[in-house]
Amino acid sequence: MSPGRVKALDQGWQSSCEASPGVVDARGLFLEFRGRFPLMAGHHNIALRDVSFAVRAGETFGVLGLNGSGKSSLLRILAGIIEPTRGSLVCREGLHRALLSLDLGFRHELSGRDNAYLSLLLQGWSRREAFRCLPHIEAFAGLGRFFEQPVHNYSSGMRARLGFSTALYNQVDLLLIDEILSTGDISFRQRAEKALETRLRGEQTVVLVSHNESQLETLCDRVMWLDKGQVQALGPSAEVVAAYREQAGS
Amino acid sequence: MNTLSPREPIAPFSLSPWTSGRVLVLVNTLARFSLKAEASRLYLSYVWYLVEPILYVLVFYVVFDLFLDSGRENFLLFLLCGKVPFLWFARSVTLMSESIVSNRGLIEQMDIPKILFPLASLLEGVYRQWPVFLLLLLIAFAQGFLPSPAWLWLLPILLVQLLLIACCGLLAGVIVTYVPDMRILISLGMTFLLFTSGIFYDAGEVGGGPFAGSLLLIFNPLAFLITCSREVIMSGAGIDWVHLLLLGVCLAAVLVFLAFLYRLLDRHLAAEVLA
Repeated sequence: MSPGRVKALDQGWQSSCEASPGVVDARGLFLEFRGRFPLMAGHHNIALRDVSFAVRAGETFGVLGLNGSGKSSLLRILAGIIEPTRGSLVCREGLHRALLSLDLGFRHELSGRDNAYLSLLLQGWSRREAFRCLPHIEAFAGLGRFFEQPVHNYSSGMRARLGFSTALYNQVDLLLIDEILSTGDISFRQRAEKALETRLRGEQTVVLVSHNESQLETLCDRVMWLDKGQVQALGPSAEVVAAYREQAGS
Repeated sequence: MNTLSPREPIAPFSLSPWTSGRVLVLVNTLARFSLKAEASRLYLSYVWYLVEPILYVLVFYVVFDLFLDSGRENFLLFLLCGKVPFLWFARSVTLMSESIVSNRGLIEQMDIPKILFPLASLLEGVYRQWPVFLLLLLIAFAQGFLPSPAWLWLLPILLVQLLLIACCGLLAGVIVTYVPDMRILISLGMTFLLFTSGIFYDAGEVGGGPFAGSLLLIFNPLAFLITCSREVIMSGAGIDWVHLLLLGVCLAAVLVFLAFLYRLLDRHLAAEVLA
């Protein structure tokens, strides 16, 4: 898709942005992972190339793309975990943001309870708040006796349940969601989607990464399509998803 | 589920890591969970933290008292007074050096100060080591070295050793994150320190005479601290407190510098871990 098309698709949002100030404004993001030593300098990957976009308050912004297109790297930059090699990310002052993903860096020898507790502390909760929250996480995850067992006994779906349930309680201005709705059994997925939709209906600003274009079309106001680290399209979700499907089908 | 908005948003940890007691709570939780995780992999679980030092003393007793029979009076205690502080230093620094890399899982998910990980390893080392020190004092007591007021010097000595471990471990943590190969050199460096810290001999009486001994005590803080601990436990004597104070002040200054360095490099460290 040409840059002209990108601009055309995004015109509707540009005008509404003036009324609703942006939460984050990414300008020319470029991210490169290099080999560690001069001898290995040839061993490097460019994860993002000149990626620019803005997310306004209360918006649900989708990011679509194949494996290796730079989606997760982009989320890590938005979450403040890493900095881009070039370009800038302007965030609203005092912005509280959190990345929600399938595996919250679990320690597999520890129980689900311990991992959830540690995760809450790392996300900024006090000990008392974390203890108060644990029964809610336990109930939502629905892991039963597995909640007290080491995470290495869990299936990938169970880890996803624990990750989603723990991260769901994080009240932040900008929620960054990485593929979290794509695993788990059907009943949990439905519950998770419902919980997320409840949150989206509020004032929550969300950047949602997914392989599932139907999900993005339903949940998102706008979608950005990344391919090999470059923006292929950016605009209303239905149009970008249609363009993505068109190319996938060709 | 009616708990989607259970409370007011709070500032993420990364925005104000130094303004509350949360850092201590987090470091303590990380350290305890790390011990718990390791214990869960072993049949004897936490019992090992007590059994290991006892076996260690037995090995030293068999080798140096029964087999080699060094002839030196109280040589077993002499050795333990050197080996126990050294083991605390070596294990903690090694653990701290790899703490950032080994927490890749958490680092790629959250914007958290990376200094937390080596600090948690530092505390983990303290938790592991205090029973060993207790055992050392019990052995000294059993061998007739009764507690004296001079033993109170152990508190500042151990505090300065904690500072030394913190400085070396934090520095090693940064270096290993950028250059993983350095862990091999760190291991080699520990072997070098094993033989140059006055564990098997008195650091003040090395082959080069008193001058060489003084140099060793000045340029190898670990040798100085080991000599101090030994003198306090075995002789009940006072220590060179000016030297100890100066060392403590210098190490505290280095620690402040390293804390700033970690703050400065925080996201670079994350990028390096993810690279």
